[in-house]
Amino acid sequence: MSERQPSGARPRGAQKPQRRASGGGRAWLRHHRAMMSDSALRLVKRPIATLLTMLAIAIALILPAGLWLALDSARLLDAELDESATLTVYFAADVGESRAMDLAAEVGEQPGVAGTRLVTAAEGLADFQQTLGVDDALAQLETNPLPASVVVTPDVTAPAAVQALSQRLQAFDGVDEVRLDLAWLDRLQQLAALGQRVALALALLFGLGVLLVVGNTIRLAVESRRQEIEVVTLIGATHAFVRRPFLYSGAWYGLGGGALSLIILALGGNWLASPVAALAESYGAHFALPSLGIGNSAFLLLFSTILGWLGAWLAVGRHLADIKPR
Amino acid sequence: MIAFEHVGKRYGGRFEALADINFRVERGEMLFLTGHSGAGKSSLLRLVMRLERPSRGRVLVAGHDLDRLHISQVPYYRRQIGVVFQDHQLLLDRDIFANVALPLTIQGVDPADAARRVRAALDKVGLLHRERALPIELSTGEQQRVGIARAVVNKPALLLADEPTGNLDPQLSADIMRLFEDFNRIGTTVLVASHDLALIARLRHRVLKLRDGRLVGDGEVA
Ligand SMILES: Nc1ncnc2c1ncn2[C@@H]1O[C@H](COP(=O)(O)OP(=O)(O)O)[C@@H](O)[C@H]1O
Ligand SMILES: [Mg+2]
Repeated sequence: MSERQPSGARPRGAQKPQRRASGGGRAWLRHHRAMMSDSALRLVKRPIATLLTMLAIAIALILPAGLWLALDSARLLDAELDESATLTVYFAADVGESRAMDLAAEVGEQPGVAGTRLVTAAEGLADFQQTLGVDDALAQLETNPLPASVVVTPDVTAPAAVQALSQRLQAFDGVDEVRLDLAWLDRLQQLAALGQRVALALALLFGLGVLLVVGNTIRLAVESRRQEIEVVTLIGATHAFVRRPFLYSGAWYGLGGGALSLIILALGGNWLASPVAALAESYGAHFALPSLGIGNSAFLLLFSTILGWLGAWLAVGRHLADIKPR
Repeated sequence: MIAFEHVGKRYGGRFEALADINFRVERGEMLFLTGHSGAGKSSLLRLVMRLERPSRGRVLVAGHDLDRLHISQVPYYRRQIGVVFQDHQLLLDRDIFANVALPLTIQGVDPADAARRVRAALDKVGLLHRERALPIELSTGEQQRVGIARAVVNKPALLLADEPTGNLDPQLSADIMRLFEDFNRIGTTVLVASHDLALIARLRHRVLKLRDGRLVGDGEVA
């Protein structure tokens, strides 16, 4: 069918469009309001189908949002390091008792150090015996194999700062090794940064999924109302008028799917909260799974609504071109 | 009101549904368009409604060349034409009132004003008492009258009908034609496509006769 774009010349006189004549704005608003409730009503009338579509959207949203949230919580560990995260500075074996005391004092004066506790070689051995209960084996040793050490409590909690402190202490003369049990944290955070990129890519992919889900649903809706579309087109409906109810349907689907995903995320977060806290505890960190919060939740709803609207727009636009009254 | 100047219409590049059609219709006229099935009646009406564009020649309605109508203005153009279809084309999920109100809804007419005009149109076709009925609850003849009410609710200057009596018995057909004559009497230009020759002959209006896409007759037939 040859619906060529005409030359652009406009007719004169009586056929001027009467659009936005007096009260045009009000009529436009009235139609928007009517279509908003009409499209919602249509969805409510078929609750199962509507819920399934919204669920499909919700699932597509949950995967990237949930992943993002999990990774964000790993990044949050940064500020939440447990106070029990300490450094142990082991001195070289040939450092004697008095030298160890001097060194410990020197370490204590370093910036970033809140406190030190010297563990002499003898104390170390006693600790060892106590915790392992291997009196007999150790009693047979002629000399104490353990070096003196000093346990440092940093007054900074940011892992990067703790790491820097550890490196400075490592450079001390007489220091054999500084053990910092935070490497796991560092690695986790690098993974999280990588993961957030993956989440973003997933979000794009699943956003496309939402477009397709809504697009397909709207395509079916357009198909089922084909006769109506043909009739109203015949009697002078603009494309915008025809499109409007479908755009609202799409927006409702998006909003519903977004809300559903928030609910599921909250439920899932609850379910995971205690095991996650326990796990964190075992690593010397403590935190609760963060929730999306009002701002992010609102963003998710807005995002999903816009996606639904856009999906409908694409589907209707594509389809309106096919529908031409007989 | 309508002028066809050397109008030709091809479908799919080869088949010629209409060829070199020339005629004029004055404002306030009533006329019939007749011809065998496939002669091109619907094609001609579709050109007037700007549902198709001519392959050659010009179609002018109310002085305006439809080919130069911008695509965005086509809906506004169509609002000035009332159309009645053979298969009434009512929306089956809405009641009679909503169906007749449809053109006004599309134009954003104030609901109170629209209700008044819908009732006036339904009254004109004698169906005011059925305004809350659904289309399937009406007889074929009544459905067609609802279609006519919808076509005239906007007081169009031009009323087109494509075989409006195709599914009706002779008595109902005559009733429908009388309705068209009523609208013509108050100044509406009326163009009715029909192959009901017996009925057309009785009504004594101008007749355009198509055969295989050509205009082979223009005048009153006895
Ligand atoms: N959209 C179309 N595509 C191709 N051929 C068409 C189309 N519409 C009508 N025709 C052909 O054009 C001719 C005239 O059709 P039509 O105008 O519907 O005639 P009538 O209404 O007088 O029966 C017929 O042969 C028909 O098959
Ligand atoms: Mg026909």
